[in-house]
Amino acid sequence: MKRALPILIIVLTAVLIAMATIQPNELTPATSPDGAVRALFDHVKARDYKGAFAYVANSGDTEEQAFAADLAGRDGSLRTYSSLEQADTKVLHASDNEALVRATLQYATAVGAFYDTRDLKVVREGDRWKVEWPVVQEANVPPQVIQENYLRWDVITRGSNDDWGAQNVEAPRVRIISMNAIAQGANTIIVGEIENEDTVPGFVSVGATLIGKNGDVLGEETSFDKISHTLLPKEISPFRIDFPKTPLATVKSVRMTPNSMLVPASADPVIGVVHQRVETDSRGRHVLKGELINESGVTVNIPHVLATYYDGAGKVIWVSDGYVDNALLPQAPVPFAVDLRDDPASNVHNYRVTVNEYMLQQDE
Amino acid sequence: MISKSPTFSNPTCANPAYAGGPGFPARAIPLSAILLIAIAVHGPLLLMQLPAGSYDANTHMFFAAHYAQHWFNPWNEKWFGGFSQTTYPPLTHQWIALFSHIMGLKFAYMFVQLIAILLLPIGMYRYAALWVDEVSASYAALGSIFLGSLSMLVYQSGQLPTTAAAALTLNAAPFFYDWLLRSRFLDLLKGVAIAWAAAAAHHVTLLFGAILFAVPVLVLALLDRNAEEIEEDRASVGGVLGRAVVFAVIAIAGVAIVLWPFWVALLKNPITQMPIPHGSRDNYILKTFSGINFWIIPMGAMILALPFIVIRGSAERRLRPLLIGWYITALLGLGGTTPAGKILLGRAYQVLTYERFTFWATIMAMPFVGLLALELIQRFRMKAVVGLTIAAVATMAASVAWIEINPIASSPFSVDQVIAFLNRDDHAKFRYITLGFGAHFAEVSTYAKAGSVDGDYNSARLLPEMTAYGAGQLYNAKYYGLAGMESLRAVLKHANQYGLKYVFVRDRYYEPLLAFAGWREAETYDNGNVTLWTKEDVPPAKRLEFVGFTPTPMEGLMWGILPVASSLFALFLVLLVPERRRVSATLEFPVRATVEPVLLREAK
Repeated sequence: MKRALPILIIVLTAVLIAMATIQPNELTPATSPDGAVRALFDHVKARDYKGAFAYVANSGDTEEQAFAADLAGRDGSLRTYSSLEQADTKVLHASDNEALVRATLQYATAVGAFYDTRDLKVVREGDRWKVEWPVVQEANVPPQVIQENYLRWDVITRGSNDDWGAQNVEAPRVRIISMNAIAQGANTIIVGEIENEDTVPGFVSVGATLIGKNGDVLGEETSFDKISHTLLPKEISPFRIDFPKTPLATVKSVRMTPNSMLVPASADPVIGVVHQRVETDSRGRHVLKGELINESGVTVNIPHVLATYYDGAGKVIWVSDGYVDNALLPQAPVPFAVDLRDDPASNVHNYRVTVNEYMLQQDE
Repeated sequence: MISKSPTFSNPTCANPAYAGGPGFPARAIPLSAILLIAIAVHGPLLLMQLPAGSYDANTHMFFAAHYAQHWFNPWNEKWFGGFSQTTYPPLTHQWIALFSHIMGLKFAYMFVQLIAILLLPIGMYRYAALWVDEVSASYAALGSIFLGSLSMLVYQSGQLPTTAAAALTLNAAPFFYDWLLRSRFLDLLKGVAIAWAAAAAHHVTLLFGAILFAVPVLVLALLDRNAEEIEEDRASVGGVLGRAVVFAVIAIAGVAIVLWPFWVALLKNPITQMPIPHGSRDNYILKTFSGINFWIIPMGAMILALPFIVIRGSAERRLRPLLIGWYITALLGLGGTTPAGKILLGRAYQVLTYERFTFWATIMAMPFVGLLALELIQRFRMKAVVGLTIAAVATMAASVAWIEINPIASSPFSVDQVIAFLNRDDHAKFRYITLGFGAHFAEVSTYAKAGSVDGDYNSARLLPEMTAYGAGQLYNAKYYGLAGMESLRAVLKHANQYGLKYVFVRDRYYEPLLAFAGWREAETYDNGNVTLWTKEDVPPAKRLEFVGFTPTPMEGLMWGILPVASSLFALFLVLLVPERRRVSATLEFPVRATVEPVLLREAK
């Protein structure tokens, strides 16, 4: 016991530590197409872009810096506020020397979950597989002066000694101009549009309360981020309010509560939407695609796209949204895509895209 | 109790090899001197309120502040829209609450922490004396003051209840041992009374620590049962085990009664939440920072003693139970560096944090360290004294320096304006959250009248938006990745239901979500360090009904009386009910001329 016990303790400790510590060499060459993609994204997850770059095939054509910027983001975009949480891979087709691997990526971002799907070409180089990384080249906009003559509304408050938060002015008149309750499985979804009917800008939100058959409240929700909160005079915003686990069949009525308050606002930045079209993506799902162009002279760091879909009668039948993980540099087009559910897709007659924005520079 | 040297019940500790070999005066350090050193070392740091910047100190002060105002009502509406403080054992909080009426909340916390620190060497003196001789035990007690793990828990983690409960558990162990061997009712009473108080201070120590400490002592008692000189005094195996069962039954029954509302709350709201990541569950080799923070710094110079602990612990039969107990505890303290925690603790592994296991392991190692110190001093004399002093001081200094070098808040900021805003006009009608405030959130909630949807004690949460995700506090949401941000989104989505109007932001990371979700920046504080975001359509907060989770008035009464009463009862027994016991240390005779004169002790 005198000698056996120390030996046992030392051996047991070494074995236990080895069990929890020894892992395959992190830069082991990938021996399969999806292994190469997985290894690349494992390094991205650990923010080891140098390690990830070791799995890139066309490393002669691709600069490591551009590769890292592509994955880590730049210009204060949503990607710079993100970290990769999960990467699932699926081989779409493979031959002896090349394969196509789909990577479904889940990011944790400052605005919640962000999903991205990339179909990556993987090629064999000797006994290992490597990923051909398609680095997106940034549009190179020439230096220029952009004249801006946008409208702007300022609000003069009474003073710092007044009651905090009391505006003592009438709230801008807003009106819900369209509303539609939709059943989606066990969920109820309210979609519609709200208009600022006033001559001053308003900060709006929409709340909804579902009333059950016997008059009790089934749920209260708000439009949260599925609305443009700042509405200029006569501007219209779509909204969507989700009630999870509340079947539409149990709802007797819906009480809508639009709210508004006077705020300073400006028409800048103007973001144009071009090349909009509804397509079916490689996964067979309907998506609304297009490009955003920031027509102002300042960078929009995080754009948020809201799409409103109308049927033949002009009624709102769906509202979908999506954040864009690239910043909008002045005059540079950036692609976007938002999902469209299959069931309303067949009835879509028209659609409208509006863009919210978050700008770091605004407050600096 | 404090001013006297402890009595020694270990019948084998009279080994002359430990009692001071030839050539160098080796005698026990008086406990009073050890306590004065403890005050000298930790007193200034506590007067500087160093723990106030720790992770959990403000949380414990928050709990205490509630008891100071509502002693018999453990339902606190200032966190999570309402939660029961019966979800956390109240003893240390209630003592802070009591002292806060005299010296204010922060100094009351520091004072109770000082008491816990002082109880540690007292307990260590008595606990180490079960295993080693008096001189080594005194060295162990002295060394316990300088433990890196203690400093980390006090000054970085702010785990007052853990340190208090561990110190109380150490103090209970010798009574447990004496009861097992000698069957004296007073030992039983004192042992269980201190165990009840320890449980009332910290539940995890009760559930895990007490077992890790008690089992080696039980095995030791079995080994020592034949050591009594008089045959009639010797205990049988059945007797020892029977008395252990009696002790356990009475202790468990008492804990069940003293913490009755805690068990009721636990049954109503069992910990089924998603596991929350914690650095102490990392693999310390793969994540170096966690390794330094949760193992290297807490262990300090004790790392050098590890070979001695293993070799000496294996060599001596009486020390083997302690060695094995220490080894298991130390393995658990390694967190994710070994699979031992997952194997031994199962589902509980993901709920617990492991810095406390390292703390317990360092405590259990101290008898060995005392023994090593004695042998080194006898061999190398003053050189050893100097070396050991440097090692002890460096261990503690390294831990305090580590905390200063790696502060939990990246840059200091003041929350005074935030508190002033929440207490002004009718702002307390609404709820608030803070983002990027770290441990300062608990400070805000301690002094603000308004309630928050967030909170700093994960096990007390009832709101589904917080329990459904594997995230901790909202103020740290981004550090929990997707789970944290989705939890924050869910709470913000229901801002109107919860009356959540104010969001104080100290990290611009959260601004995009607030901007898109309908909050607007309204004010800035602390030279722009903190911004206030508000949502205009939020109605005043309503009282949230958590049917079945609110403690009954009877539970409130029990909660207000029994835990504190258990500690007072233990104090009464230990201080005012002295015992006469045989001092069993054998004095060498004739005394060698070169050895320091041995003072005969009066039997007490």
